[in-house]
Amino acid sequence: MTTTNSGRSFWPLRRKPKETEAQPAPAPTPLPAHEVLLGWDIAPNDPLLNYFLHASGAVEVNRLHLDSPALRRLKEEGVAMIVPLVSQGELVGIINLGQRRSDQEYSSDDRRLLDDLAVQAAPAVRVAQLVRQQELAAVERERIETELRVARTIQQTLLPKEVPAIEGWEIAAHWQPAREVSGDFYDFLTFEDGRLGVIIADVTDKGVPAALVMATTRTLLRAAAERLKAPGDVLARANDVLCPDIPPKMFVTCFYGIFDPATGLVRYANAGHDMPYLRRSAGGVEELRARGMPLGLLPGMPYEEKEVVLQPGDTLLLYSDGLVEAHNSQREMLGFQQVRGLIDGHAGGADLILHLLDRLAAFTGADWEQEDDVTLLTVQRLAQVAASPLAWRTLGEFDLPSAPGNERLAIEQVMQMIGAVGLTPKQIDRLKTAIGEATMNAIEHGNGFQADLPAHIAVLSAPDALRIRIVDHGGDRAIPTPDTPDLEAKLAGLQSPRGWGLFLIKNMVDEMTVAADGEHHIVELTIKLEGVVS
Amino acid sequence: MSKPNLTIHVRQAAPATAILDIRGEVTGFGENALMDAYTQASNQGARTICLNFTDLEYMNSSGIGLLVTLLIRVQRQKQRLTAFGLSEHYQQIFELTRLNEAISIYAQETDAIRAGA
Repeated sequence: MTTTNSGRSFWPLRRKPKETEAQPAPAPTPLPAHEVLLGWDIAPNDPLLNYFLHASGAVEVNRLHLDSPALRRLKEEGVAMIVPLVSQGELVGIINLGQRRSDQEYSSDDRRLLDDLAVQAAPAVRVAQLVRQQELAAVERERIETELRVARTIQQTLLPKEVPAIEGWEIAAHWQPAREVSGDFYDFLTFEDGRLGVIIADVTDKGVPAALVMATTRTLLRAAAERLKAPGDVLARANDVLCPDIPPKMFVTCFYGIFDPATGLVRYANAGHDMPYLRRSAGGVEELRARGMPLGLLPGMPYEEKEVVLQPGDTLLLYSDGLVEAHNSQREMLGFQQVRGLIDGHAGGADLILHLLDRLAAFTGADWEQEDDVTLLTVQRLAQVAASPLAWRTLGEFDLPSAPGNERLAIEQVMQMIGAVGLTPKQIDRLKTAIGEATMNAIEHGNGFQADLPAHIAVLSAPDALRIRIVDHGGDRAIPTPDTPDLEAKLAGLQSPRGWGLFLIKNMVDEMTVAADGEHHIVELTIKLEGVVS
Repeated sequence: MSKPNLTIHVRQAAPATAILDIRGEVTGFGENALMDAYTQASNQGARTICLNFTDLEYMNSSGIGLLVTLLIRVQRQKQRLTAFGLSEHYQQIFELTRLNEAISIYAQETDAIRAGA
């Protein structure tokens, strides 16, 4: 079957005499007994087609003289008369007839009959062809849609199912592909030490090719981030692995930041992605700049690494170019300046996403056909941390044998654990003294220097404070509340020279709490961070 | 950790002033070392006992209790107790405990000797 440019086919039909009937003497080949498909196609460039298109009625084959392979073959196969079926200026088919049964020429009545038949048959054939085409197209469309639905489902499984829940932080994400599948993606990586990796990336192009590269890139970034700590190294590694495999003219822009929820510190690198905006709660918008080529262009590229601290209330917005490059009906682009202005005019937080989507809809109008994938991600360090135990992240904990002098070990170990938390030197000295005193009390008074009763010490960190929890096994005895030490009374022999411990602890930390559960004493020492990041 | 990590060297800095060079940790474990050094200084006729905290590594509440005990003895003997070389942190602890009102604190050894002379 030959398919013409218009997508239709021409199956030359012919009617054949029955086998029992006398065969016409000149017939060069035996003919089947009834109408059949000849089983071959007329080539689309055969001049016969053009002749049929413009013929006025039935055509006698033997009177035609054209340099046409199809005509020759029709003659060889004994076709005597052809009736072109033309509908709305298009040749939609032909009816082929052999010799009349009487072996006489077709009469003018026969021709009129055939012409009338053609006039009625042509539109009917055309309709039948259209119905058939639509059926085939529908089947094909359904097949493609099914495949895209599957692809979209698979792609959605590659996106985070939920945003991370971190006390004191609010994270929100919006992913809106322009087609069923997208080249945009984002990802969250949770590390054991409590830090959070956030990735946003955009593969050039849209649709299935972009989605396939997206899946590969996501895997590469995850693998690199597991092995390497520095965000710049992670991007460099992913770039090197991606380069040989990525299809030509495709690349991936990507921002990767690692957040420390305790301090607000963000260490980041950027592979050519649109610069994230930092909305300061104190006012103003900053861009997070870091140099780096998109992934997949050239191997061996370095990626600059930068740091910024999110203060309480600050919001970081990560986005893909589908936002800034959206056009309105006048073909004007939304653009960076306007997006920046929209962020500046908003208080920040997860609502910023809804605000931007609202403004985007207002800008593009109701009839907007989304041009590119739109991904928006906000990470906000909340201004007020709820006074909940969940706000505290454990930096480390250990057991300490209840032996005299072991408070020095406690001090050393705690200091190692809080290495990354910002304390001033003065606070460190005060904390050391407080830990020493509280641990001495636990070892001596709580556990009675019994080696099999260890003191348990935990170091906890919150965005704005540090807490040391010291637990002993003396919970069945109340902690004595000694007199406030008075030097003059001590010098006069009215108080013991000792008894300075609790007094010192209370003066060394911002808060000291003591609790007992019947078995344990739980002493908690809290120091507020003064915004110093070491 | 249960052994005292404290050594105290006694030296005569002026005719009636003995300096106790404290090295290490002033804790409950240092009682003997501190009291022995005080006795030695007193036996040498010192009227002013001057504590050199320049090489102090650590002092806890028990150590402060020891200083109170020493102060009581010094006052009974009509001697003076002075100190120098305290870090900012321990100066603050002396202020909190008001030990600085009973023990004169100096920045440097020469200041302490001049005052004790």
